Amino acid sequence: MTMTTATETFPGIRRVEHVMGMPIVLDIRDDEVDEVVVEKMFEWLGWVDATFSTYKPDSEISRLNRGELLFEEAHGEVRGVLSRCEALRVATDGYFDVRRASGEPIDPSGLVKGWAVDRAALLLENGGVRNYAVSAGGDMRLRGRAVPELSWRVGIQHPLDRTAVAKVIETTELAVATSGAYARGDHVWNPRTGQSPRGILSVTVVGPKLEVADAFATAVFAMGPDLGPRWTASLRDYEAMTILADQTILATGGFPDD
Amino acid sequence: MRKIITTVLTVATLALPIVDANAATKAAKKKIVVTKKFAGSVASVDRWGNLQVTIVVRKTTTAVNGKKKVTRKLTGLSVPTYPNHTDRSVYINQNALPILKSEALQRQSASINLVSGATDTSYAFAQSLQAAILKAKRA
Repeated sequence: MTMTTATETFPGIRRVEHVMGMPIVLDIRDDEVDEVVVEKMFEWLGWVDATFSTYKPDSEISRLNRGELLFEEAHGEVRGVLSRCEALRVATDGYFDVRRASGEPIDPSGLVKGWAVDRAALLLENGGVRNYAVSAGGDMRLRGRAVPELSWRVGIQHPLDRTAVAKVIETTELAVATSGAYARGDHVWNPRTGQSPRGILSVTVVGPKLEVADAFATAVFAMGPDLGPRWTASLRDYEAMTILADQTILATGGFPDD
Repeated sequence: MRKIITTVLTVATLALPIVDANAATKAAKKKIVVTKKFAGSVASVDRWGNLQVTIVVRKTTTAVNGKKKVTRKLTGLSVPTYPNHTDRSVYINQNALPILKSEALQRQSASINLVSGATDTSYAFAQSLQAAILKAKRA
């Protein structure tokens, strides 16, 4: 699925492709765009999908889970991702975990998306792209500005009203990740209780890396309405906004505004 | 030992008497809203240095038939003075200042370029993102 919009009013290109089971939106606002860089970025995401998908039986992750591939034999990027999953599991006191329970198959999708987009952003930057937004299913990396505007404006989805946003962030360089149960139903579990958290509608985390922001958002959601927001107050370099079921927003002191 | 600040400043309402809606209908009503900034006392945080918290409170005074009702709401919070330690990050990291801003969830309809939300694998989401892009294009 590819959709490309015409570019009468803005410089650059806009493209939406379905990769890794979700829409990937690329919005570049530079006067000149090297199409080769754009192709390279989507090729990279395609490779990530083929290698890490838990839905593809021949992916390295599927083969690892079936015991057909040993960790030592896996691709260097796969080993790197799994090591960082473990580091983030420790950093989040076990709330970000690629296994639902010990002995269960691994599913690093929660990290892979953010990591893949971070690397996609690097590919764009190395290719000379200066003003861009890459969004994977609502989690994104942004840099520069939405020319002709002076920055990027990101709306945080209202968890109870699909047609509205709850907050607007204005930025010139940031990763933004939101975790919530309203889109796909319960898919985040508290690893301590095995239950889906109640009392929390969505968690948005912003900071330099999407890989970390995304993992933190998932972890905070799993922590629930009491521990989650409190834990966000201890973060360094990352800011968070938690929307509770009683329609209260709890944000860390440095969470950006519009 | 270092956990001096244990209060979690998350609850927005300091005092909130419920306003009787029926009583207000007949009588002449007078409402005064004052927003003030309050600096907390400077607290010494162990060997790390001083810390001060500033809050903004909105005070609403409603007078009905000479009867006054006052509500106060915490609308802002900041920490102007952090411990003056060479490694502030160590302090913040280890002590996890439990300070959060609280506000009510609202619907906004501002002009935006992209939407951040929980992942939805459906085609509808791609459509809505595309719509957002197109909308931003017209803005």
